[in-house]
Amino acid sequence: MSEELKKRIAELFHEKSKGDKKMFYIRDVTKWLPDEDRHAVQNAVKELLDEEVLKYWSSGSSTYLILAEFFPKE
Amino acid sequence: MSKPETPLLDELEKGRWPSFVKDLKQAAKKNPMARDLIHQLELSYKDRIGHWKHGGIVGVKGYGAGVIGRYSDRPDLFPNVQAFHTLRVNHPTGWFYKTDALRKLCDVWDKHGSGLTNMHGSTGDAILLGTTTDHLQPCFNDLSDAGFDLGGSGSALRTPSACVGPARCEWACIDSLDICYNITMTYQDQIHRPMFPYKFKIKVSACPNDCVASIARSDFSIIGTWKDDIQVDQKEVLAYASSINIQKEVCDLCPTRCMEWNGKELKIYNDDCTRCMHCINLMPKALRPGKEKGASILVGGKAPIVKGALLSWVVVPFIKLEPPYDELKNLIERIQDWWDENGKSRERLGELITRLGMRVFLKAVGLPAVPQMVKAPRTNPYVFFWPEDIQKEVK
Ligand code: HEM
Ligand code: HEM
Ligand code: SF4
Ligand code: SF4
Repeated sequence: MSEELKKRIAELFHEKSKGDKKMFYIRDVTKWLPDEDRHAVQNAVKELLDEEVLKYWSSGSSTYLILAEFFPKE
Repeated sequence: MSKPETPLLDELEKGRWPSFVKDLKQAAKKNPMARDLIHQLELSYKDRIGHWKHGGIVGVKGYGAGVIGRYSDRPDLFPNVQAFHTLRVNHPTGWFYKTDALRKLCDVWDKHGSGLTNMHGSTGDAILLGTTTDHLQPCFNDLSDAGFDLGGSGSALRTPSACVGPARCEWACIDSLDICYNITMTYQDQIHRPMFPYKFKIKVSACPNDCVASIARSDFSIIGTWKDDIQVDQKEVLAYASSINIQKEVCDLCPTRCMEWNGKELKIYNDDCTRCMHCINLMPKALRPGKEKGASILVGGKAPIVKGALLSWVVVPFIKLEPPYDELKNLIERIQDWWDENGKSRERLGELITRLGMRVFLKAVGLPAVPQMVKAPRTNPYVFFWPEDIQKEVK
């Protein structure tokens, strides 16, 4: 179940990252999946972060999510 | 004499107070990062613009918070601050350090960073200013070995903080230190792995003096208070009468005018006391908080960015706080869950309550409306009532 959800989230990230916008808030992700339980989505995102499919990006005050492959090089 | 290198910064050293410029210059003598930092700052003063680029990097393995990435936008001029990341280190509750712990912290920072610190930042954390990307993980490992952990940043639960409370202060009505420590340990995941719409802050003051300014600086403020009467020692009140003007300085300045002084005895109408602490602060030997102690819970405070500053609003006038604080933590979780469900990205709890209304908030988290919640009575007396509740009253 959770593997299935993770796969969908990763796919959605790829789809939504086709344009210039690569960074998303966690609220964007829960809105992409209105029928899924919000906590389940958050937990799946945490696992994707642990697996380094996704990465956190932070300005210091707010936090975004980004596909690891798009994480800006310094 | 040669021309000064930093004429604009030098101006700041001329005032009456100790200047951070002096400290920076001292650090610059032994650290090249501190040296480039001074010169970049001088350029910022000259150009009237900050020369930092915002972040990206967030932490170390397994963490999504605690590191704030900063890069110079003029690495050509200042190569030693090309990367100048900040580490937020979770401070010991109440900011109590033994000297050996402080030394260890400084040693780690001399080894891995610029040597510059901010003790402490307004978040509460010990702030370590300026290190490079490749030093982050080794620095974190050394901090861990010394018993320290990173604090919160970004859309996370920020490092909870508390006043020194019962450790140092006779006015403490709750154990602010234990509560803060308990909350910090319980919510490690929320601190280290941001999943909220935005930041969430919890601060604990053990009495209404609110030394950590929780009312202005936290989404969830816990402020110690008492339920019964202020304890009065009339003999000591009389003794104060020889050194202060009790009528003018105490009674007349009581915000609710609930005290009477006849030259011999002080009478307090406790039902009207708002626990402002004024009289107790002025006559600490004569007056003490009551014996039935607990806390008020307030929500929604925040600083100006995005939508303007808000002060926290009372939602629980009185709650007993004893370990393991299950009722408190349950309330925190209900509130965070409602905010997480309904908040927009970068919308703080106080802004969400303003947008959807206090009565929606109260219903959602299961709190009753009580008179202590009324902030400005005449603005809208009907704000708390649902049609079905009014119907009930009519019958
Ligand atoms: C001799 C005539 C009147 C007297 C003595 C009177 C007196 C009052 C008083 C004492 C209040 C409470 C104010 C407060 O607590 O801040 C009040 C409120 C109010 N009155 Fe009157 N009133 C009179 C006529 C009227 C009329 C003719 C109207 C409407 C056409 C009216 C509309 C209102 C309203 C809407 C409020 C509520 C204001 C609020 O909630 O802040 N009143 N009035
Ligand atoms: C298009 C027309 C109107 C608009 C857009 C309007 C809008 C408003 C708004 C936004 C409030 C504040 C509500 C609050 O603070 O919760 C208010 C209050 C009030 N309005 Fe109007 N209003 C209109 C017409 C009228 C008329 C024609 C009357 C009286 C004949 C009236 C009487 C009042 C009164 C007495 C209050 C105060 C209610 C209170 O204190 O709780 N309004 N109005
Ligand atoms: S908030 Fe109250 S209890 Fe805490 S340190 Fe200040 S005066 Fe003392
Ligand atoms: S604590 Fe404040 S409100 Fe209460 S009696 Fe003293 S001065 Fe008045």
